[in-house]
Amino acid sequence: MASSSNAEHHAGRPPWGLTLGATAIGLVFAGPLGYVVWQNLDLGSDFADVVFSPDTIGPLRRSLVLATSVACSAAVIGTLLAWLIVRSDLPGRGLWRVLAPLPLVFPSFVGATALISGFATGGLLERVVQPLGMDQLPELAGFRAAWFVLTLFTYPYVYLLVGARLRRLPASLEESARLLGHRPMSVFTTIVLPQARTAISAGTLLVFLYTVSDFGAVELLRYDTLTRSIYASRLVDRPTAMALSLLLGAVAVVVVAAERALVRRDPPLSGRTGGSGMRIRLGRWRWPAFAAVVAFVGFAIVGPVSSLAYWTIRGIDATRSTGSLAVSADGIGRAISNTVLISLATAVATVTVVLPIAYLTTRYRSRVGGAANGLVVGGFALPGLVTALALVFWVLNAPALAGLYQTLPILLLAYVIHFGAMASRPSQVAVATVPMRLEDAARMLGAGRARRFLTIEAPLMAPGLLAAAGLVLLSAMKELPATLLLAPIGFDTLATRIWASMDNVSYAQAGLESMVLLAVSAVLTWLFVIRAADRLD
Amino acid sequence: MIAPHPATARSLTTGVALIGLLLAGCGSSSDDAAPAALADSTITVYSGRGEDLIQPVFDRFEAETGAIVEVRYLGSAEAALLIDTEGDASPADVVISQSPGAIGFLDQAGRLAPLDGSILERVDPGFRAASGTWAGITGRVRTLVYNTDLVDPSDLPVSVLDLVDERFAGQVAVAPANGSFQDFVTAMRAELGDDVTAEWLAGMAANDSPNYAKNSAIVDAVTRGEVPMGLVNHYYLPEALEEDPGLPGENHFFPDGDLGSLLIVSAAAVVDTSDHPEAAAALIAYLLSDDAQRLSAEGEKEYPLVAGIAAPAGLAPLQDVAAVVVDLDVLAGGLAGTQDLIAQSGIEQ
Repeated sequence: MASSSNAEHHAGRPPWGLTLGATAIGLVFAGPLGYVVWQNLDLGSDFADVVFSPDTIGPLRRSLVLATSVACSAAVIGTLLAWLIVRSDLPGRGLWRVLAPLPLVFPSFVGATALISGFATGGLLERVVQPLGMDQLPELAGFRAAWFVLTLFTYPYVYLLVGARLRRLPASLEESARLLGHRPMSVFTTIVLPQARTAISAGTLLVFLYTVSDFGAVELLRYDTLTRSIYASRLVDRPTAMALSLLLGAVAVVVVAAERALVRRDPPLSGRTGGSGMRIRLGRWRWPAFAAVVAFVGFAIVGPVSSLAYWTIRGIDATRSTGSLAVSADGIGRAISNTVLISLATAVATVTVVLPIAYLTTRYRSRVGGAANGLVVGGFALPGLVTALALVFWVLNAPALAGLYQTLPILLLAYVIHFGAMASRPSQVAVATVPMRLEDAARMLGAGRARRFLTIEAPLMAPGLLAAAGLVLLSAMKELPATLLLAPIGFDTLATRIWASMDNVSYAQAGLESMVLLAVSAVLTWLFVIRAADRLD
Repeated sequence: MIAPHPATARSLTTGVALIGLLLAGCGSSSDDAAPAALADSTITVYSGRGEDLIQPVFDRFEAETGAIVEVRYLGSAEAALLIDTEGDASPADVVISQSPGAIGFLDQAGRLAPLDGSILERVDPGFRAASGTWAGITGRVRTLVYNTDLVDPSDLPVSVLDLVDERFAGQVAVAPANGSFQDFVTAMRAELGDDVTAEWLAGMAANDSPNYAKNSAIVDAVTRGEVPMGLVNHYYLPEALEEDPGLPGENHFFPDGDLGSLLIVSAAAVVDTSDHPEAAAALIAYLLSDDAQRLSAEGEKEYPLVAGIAAPAGLAPLQDVAAVVVDLDVLAGGLAGTQDLIAQSGIEQ
């Protein structure tokens, strides 16, 4: 079933325009990594000394262990969820399609704080389990806590990409296997996994990179990773901070290259796709599966939300009599529209920008394409603060751009560069979905390039690209460091407001704003991810 | 969005005169008193101090002078890194930091312009840079927050140094990664030397003092009863009580000038590349005016630093909490050494 990947490459050289475009895009995306290299030289960082220091080895090991663990658990959970929601007769699929991607929008410092306070002694969860006879909950800290919390907030990377892939697969194979008496689990492992492996792998890679770059969750859960070392030294020892950032970038480049080398691509789809009407019957597994989905997705959303709601209600309650209410909706409408506009613009721009690279790497054997892809994806492992400072540096040193410093176009550029990785691998998966023989046939029939793209390729790629755009959209909703540094003054987003409220210890306000962020994200997911995908079927 | 500022010619004398005017005119807020020179300027501020806390003061300054104050709110360390990365092109005129560490970084990098003596002298020498580049505007006091259900006040320690005692094993939460805790450790190094400090940190580590990420997390944990006591800044508890007045928490200020009652300042400075240094200095002068200091004390829970301004409602006066002041230039400088000591002590486990 697995066709050799060579068979799907064009034999000839890629068009020079495509190579040139991909090179230019790759160079722009090289900005953050290039800045980190430049800073290492400029500040005279002793890279080897820092990297081999015992103070680095421990955090590096913890970063890798955590990222690998989270990537594995998110891969398993995201894939299973995608299959259950897209392909099976799981009850409540319409609702799950809206809910399952949502944990992605919790900024990790909010999600972690909410879960910690829920789990803590005297917290909400204790009140729930105490009547059941449990009096001591595990403290939410350290490796297992970081693994658990980050899995809860990152599985949607895998879920969204695998879900998009599965929607395109003909269900006939699974149907036949089921009719031949295979159990659902065996259908899953023998039919679904081989068909979705690129999507799984692409999502897992994103989870890995997100985890190594995360600071908010590991800081609060007190798991000492490389990003904590970078933050601790960012002001007092900049050469070390920059050397550690370079190390993180190097890890990312290696992991990205390894993923591309190891994972063969999915077999292309035949012309007959879709068939989302066909559902695999889970039989007696239906309700256990339902219970598992309720427990997991329910916890990923209800867990943090119950703390957020509790903070808000408690704050309103305490201040109702004082006349100065603990929460205020002033300016929240503007923050919502700012957040929605910049996130939508980022989603569209990012997918458009990475598409040429996806073509080049998927359709041709191209070193340029491989390198450009490495730069786009690898930069995602850098902490957001480093990426933002890199943008400050490059923009102010580029005469053509300096006049635009701290304006919306530059903020958009920063978002696109930071979130390019999310669209990059998924776009490749989408491009690979188009069988070359279809395109070849169209070419032989005399269809022009533009017409072939619009009538044949775009419709086939659309679900994959939509999933990519959805990932970018939901991730951009919570962007913080670049927004604080590069947004025009006064350009509040929901994330900056939540940050300010948390900083000010206004938990009631932070809780309210976080719930607004979640609600707005749910609406956007429904409008731009789910309804759009349904129309494509 | 950062429009090139109109190159208004303004002599230094106007600037100084104007500062004098602002300082002398505390209380008088009639429009006639508004210095005409400020009316057309836009002052860009990078503030590590939160919008809720400091924006009211900027609003009043705008109303009184006709100047426009544009504020970018971000973390103090991020503000310092941003100005450093921007270099000569920095749009910032004024920087406000929550801690001496971040503003000290800019001072050492040569990115701050000297302040006029008339501004500096508004606060005690202990509250400003010896280099004359920045002045403290408000301050917070280190304290021991405790759960009133779990701790008998008579058992409370008289000195922060007593916390290494065996009877406090597992009882006192710390936030070793937090900037204020690190400022406190730096102050201890300055006062008692590295050896005593290392010993104290090791003692806290040996006592298995529970770790938290930051002050607010400690106050949450203490009031929930997860841990009986914790080392924090004074204003986190009043803020938590505002949203939940029933919390069983109390601040214990170490008496008699104990190092545990260290005062840490929020500070303001003019960025060396500012296009409007006079207007920037006028804003800082305003932050230290009686008016603004009083306004801060009403809205914030930090202590005003100008002599004669009352402490925020519900807080004991600064002299009664016996807050100690340590040579702030030491605080601003030796943060790297402090982080090394903390890392070596094992307190972070």
